[in-house]
Amino acid sequence: MSETNVILGVIGSDCHAVGNKIIDTVLTGEGFRVTNLGVMVSQDEFIDAAIEVGAGAILVSSIYGHGEIDCAGFRGRCIERGLEDIVLYVGGNLVIGKRDFSEVETLFKDMGYDRVFPPTVDIKSVAQSLRQDIAARQ
Amino acid sequence: MIYATIDIGSTWTKGASFRLVGDRVRLERRAARPTTVANLSDAFFGVLSEIVAGDPLDQLRGGELRLRYSSSAKGGLAVAAIGLVPDVTLEIGKLAAQSAGARLSQVFSYRLTASDVAQLEKRQPDIVLLAGGTDGGNSDYVLANAAALAASRLDCDFVYAGNREVADEVAALLAGKRLKVVPNLLPDFNEPNPDPARDAIRSIFLDAIVKGKGLDVIMDATGSEPVPTPFAVLEYTRTIRELVPGWSEFLLLDMGGATTDVYSAHLDTPSSGVIRRGLPEPTVKRTVEGDLGMRVSAQAVCELGDTTLAATLEAHNVSKADLAAYAARVTAHPDSIPTGTEERRLDTLLAGLCVGHAVARHVGRMTSVYTPEGEVLVQTGRDLSKLPKVVGSGGWLAKAEGFSPGAWFDGHLIDQRGRSVLAPRNFAYYRDADYLFPLLANLARDIPAAAARAGIDFLVAQETRSEHATA
Repeated sequence: MSETNVILGVIGSDCHAVGNKIIDTVLTGEGFRVTNLGVMVSQDEFIDAAIEVGAGAILVSSIYGHGEIDCAGFRGRCIERGLEDIVLYVGGNLVIGKRDFSEVETLFKDMGYDRVFPPTVDIKSVAQSLRQDIAARQ
Repeated sequence: MIYATIDIGSTWTKGASFRLVGDRVRLERRAARPTTVANLSDAFFGVLSEIVAGDPLDQLRGGELRLRYSSSAKGGLAVAAIGLVPDVTLEIGKLAAQSAGARLSQVFSYRLTASDVAQLEKRQPDIVLLAGGTDGGNSDYVLANAAALAASRLDCDFVYAGNREVADEVAALLAGKRLKVVPNLLPDFNEPNPDPARDAIRSIFLDAIVKGKGLDVIMDATGSEPVPTPFAVLEYTRTIRELVPGWSEFLLLDMGGATTDVYSAHLDTPSSGVIRRGLPEPTVKRTVEGDLGMRVSAQAVCELGDTTLAATLEAHNVSKADLAAYAARVTAHPDSIPTGTEERRLDTLLAGLCVGHAVARHVGRMTSVYTPEGEVLVQTGRDLSKLPKVVGSGGWLAKAEGFSPGAWFDGHLIDQRGRSVLAPRNFAYYRDADYLFPLLANLARDIPAAAARAGIDFLVAQETRSEHATA
């Protein structure tokens, strides 16, 4: 397994394409081999790609506010399909309304995501933790 | 210059000769004889002597005659495709096999179990295509599968088109078998590369059909090699698309006794409001349906068991038992021709079911998804709904004057998951009435423009459908 293979995509019925391209560009620049699935990606499509490329991490974006529904059950599905050790990140406008980010973070960590990011995060810092987290799992 | 072309089918060996006049070809003679299975050269030279006056071999040596021929050999070699994820490497493996002219006999994904290997040993495919993992991607599965295949009793050709990082290890594991290693069919997740695997399958196909059965005799006498018929027709579809004005987009149905083959030339262009999902589609595509055919596979047609079959039977007031009885009869006698109104009706029903299902499986799907930004259309596979032309070929469709495929496509407007089936809706239908497509496909290797033009010129226009609004 190559430690720099990662899967990127926007989950659910979400068509926001711009942020996705920015994350792709920055992570590629940071030396990751990014398989970008684009927008409207289902959980199984993320997992299909992760298996084929032997990815160390899946990075899920959700911008349109329905992340809570789209992202639930992802960890369990990964385990069911043989990706027990994969690093799972999620970020974006994950919920609707003005909820405290720490509350959102807890919600998604409980779902099994290793890290949860607000829309304002610096992608370079994401790259740094991504490298550490993947290395720690191997 | 005279051009002779022969197609050795599983039941008939067909031939025709053409003369090149300017940039057009003129049909000179046609002939067909039952294929002599024990020694293919008997029927071949019989047909050749009918389509060429004088001594054909002498004229070949003198350069006055050009000869090209194809062989469908058992309806194509049986390929077992093994991929990793069903929708990813296995899907591309299936595409590679079908575009090489092969028949998919079995498919497997993830890790081969002991019973999977037992199934393979039981069916004994001609070729096993092993893929899985992008370059630098997963290698555990292909290594495990290669080890399982190495320990099996399978005596066939193997093609490895998986993760190149472990190609050497796979080659070492399969050292005792006949193995071809080709570039990965999915080197990068978003860039499928089915052609090297396709070419490897085709060349094994050629080596295999040439052995024995008299094809070697034909090669020695004529100095040229055969091509697999389905491969020739796929390339011919591409030639027509490129060289005949107005024919850049069309669908070709080739229905036989055992399989229904669908070829389409279509460039999918992105349209606004539509999001494409899944693997990118090739411009020219072939699919083969081994369970849809007019004779050998007729019984499988009655076992489709979906709502479309039930609705069709009801609409035509035919009981499933009657259709099944007829199917059993024609499967037992593949050379039978329907007699009487009732048999013709059942025969047409079988044809319609084959055509409808084969096209529904060939084309893509569209479904609408409601998002906070409004409705979005999600498309998987190819959208042929606006395709302007459909051609019917193969023994049955060539002769079926009153047959209208559009009505049968319409049995599949919506699939069982509620998605729109992107089959052609408003199109002109043409019949390859003289069943010349496989023969002209051979000719296209020498004179592509004239052969492509001739195929279209010889078509008989049937009907234009415009009564249905495009979905």
